[in-house]
Amino acid sequence: MSQVVRLDQEATASPGLPERVLLQYEVEQFLYHEAALLDDRRFGEWLALIADDIHYWMPIRRTVTVENLHLEYAGPNGMAYFDDDRTDLGMRVQKLQSNSAWSENPPSRTRHLVSNVRILEVKGSEIALEAAIHLYRSRLNDKIDHWIGKRRDGLRRVEGGFQIFQRHIFLDQTVVLSTNFSSLF
Amino acid sequence: MLDHDRRIGTTGLDEDASLIPDLSNGLIDRSIYTDPEIYRLELRRIFARAWNFMCHETQIPNAGDYFINYIGEDQVIAVRGDDGQVRVLLNTCRHRGNALCRAELGNTRTFVCSYHGWTYGLDGKLIGIPGKTDFYRDDVDQAKLGLVPAAKVDQYKGFCFATLDPAAPSLFDYLGEVGRIGIESMLDHGDVVALDGVQKNVIDCNWKIAVDNLFDWYHVKVSHNSASRVGFLNQRMMMPMTQMVMLGELGHAIGGPMITEEQQAKIDALSDEERAAIDRLPDAERAKVTPSERRPLRSTAAKATMGQVGVRATGHPNIFPNLWISTRGMQLSLRLPRGPGRTEIWWFTVMPKSFGDAQRRAAKKFLTHAFGPAGLLEQDDGENWSQSTAAGRGVVSGRHPHNLQMAQGQDEVLVHPSGQKRIETRVNEHAQRWTYTCWAEWMRARDWPELMATRSSSPTGRI
Repeated sequence: MSQVVRLDQEATASPGLPERVLLQYEVEQFLYHEAALLDDRRFGEWLALIADDIHYWMPIRRTVTVENLHLEYAGPNGMAYFDDDRTDLGMRVQKLQSNSAWSENPPSRTRHLVSNVRILEVKGSEIALEAAIHLYRSRLNDKIDHWIGKRRDGLRRVEGGFQIFQRHIFLDQTVVLSTNFSSLF
Repeated sequence: MLDHDRRIGTTGLDEDASLIPDLSNGLIDRSIYTDPEIYRLELRRIFARAWNFMCHETQIPNAGDYFINYIGEDQVIAVRGDDGQVRVLLNTCRHRGNALCRAELGNTRTFVCSYHGWTYGLDGKLIGIPGKTDFYRDDVDQAKLGLVPAAKVDQYKGFCFATLDPAAPSLFDYLGEVGRIGIESMLDHGDVVALDGVQKNVIDCNWKIAVDNLFDWYHVKVSHNSASRVGFLNQRMMMPMTQMVMLGELGHAIGGPMITEEQQAKIDALSDEERAAIDRLPDAERAKVTPSERRPLRSTAAKATMGQVGVRATGHPNIFPNLWISTRGMQLSLRLPRGPGRTEIWWFTVMPKSFGDAQRRAAKKFLTHAFGPAGLLEQDDGENWSQSTAAGRGVVSGRHPHNLQMAQGQDEVLVHPSGQKRIETRVNEHAQRWTYTCWAEWMRARDWPELMATRSSSPTGRI
């Protein structure tokens, strides 16, 4: 009973709460839908959710001391694992759809888990969010990869839903303990 | 340095040499990819003996800057001292062997061991032992317990190398003409600067399969078919019919596409400004006017540094044992052994200082999308290499050698009046055979003098 009261008080104290809850729900549902498209290999439909001005980026991360934490990531002028625009992602998708992308034939089994979704900023039609991700990949009979990290996404509200205009992936790994990145994050 | 780790039998025969199969005919016994004894011998007779690439000098510009690398499985710290000199020190405390430096790179004043606090200077000197008086009663020879330095450290035009073997020849002589052409291929637009960020990933394959693949222009059309279909590579680049191979002593080689003499004559007619203007054109327009597909076109100065033949070699150089310099001369890849069935792939990127922002961005975009674990090309290589390695573990599969006999005996080594030698041919496996022939020589020789006495000279005549 007391819990209900507290929730009510919160709602009164935060006038925008119902709207925020609704937005959180919409955003999460969108992220789950998008993850399912990737896991179900519906890459063309996934690509339709990508904005023309997308920056899809995974910087290189290094093991550094506490004193040198400013060197942890190679910056925007440095090299990266992914540094893609819409055309690049289009090529990746086309590649995944061909039967001669040997790193995906036989196809990997993937599961994109998205959690800890926090909306950081809403500016007009644009939403900045941060989420924890866990991408599990099983390949052939005995190859397993776990990629865990943080994603900073930028979503733009468009007719019928959202489009992704920013995806920055910060992996919780330095030396990449995998043969390749043939999956999309 | 004599290879003391294993006793030489009373007959004077080297027991280890019996492990090494004859690879000179292009049939590669699979034991060299799987046998743990061969692997341990490689660490001693190849990696602990060779000059190994450490870093580009611009990666560690300031005093105290360091970068961790490996010589075989010896982890080393490449660090710039207060005197500006780059030193290479084994990353292992002289007390209990703990790794002093746990980071991949950074800047520091000292290396302090996290186990008992032994402290070393940037020059490797042991400058602090906690409890030296109270516990050691001042009975410890501090001066003798500095970090173990590499036997020699040197650089060729900004690219730093180290060897653990004091008997190794100088870096200049070690590289020889072919190795030097490899490095010069990165410098034809002047001095370079390393971009921040070394891509690193792990592949379950033997390191040599990752190395010999760099000469392999036969796999491109098949392995990288999807990259071509989506328009990342054009078909002509996929299987060029004009190839040049240069074979250098001690196992260095360059193999891949070439600029023909006719194309080179057209390039020679262009000034550096005209060459730069062609390189600024978008791909489709550039294709109509450029004498050669290689981008960027080499500068006029390159002819002097690379030689009249070398300047036409646009394939992949490998500096033995494991340093690949990529086609555009902007990336270096180390294939670092982590056991017989595991290899770390590292990609370093350098850019000419003379490149403007737009040129740098365009080059970086191509490189990011070609190589590294997410590269549209490299994605599809790793599993080939790991499955080729794994199959060698089968009893019967292991009895059937890999076949690298393509174009064996079919070509001729041509000698240019300048003395530079090359093979001009189609897709072939000459450089792979050469790499394995030299590998076997390194593996049979017990020390540097023996290797220098027994190594093959760069081939001439029919090959």
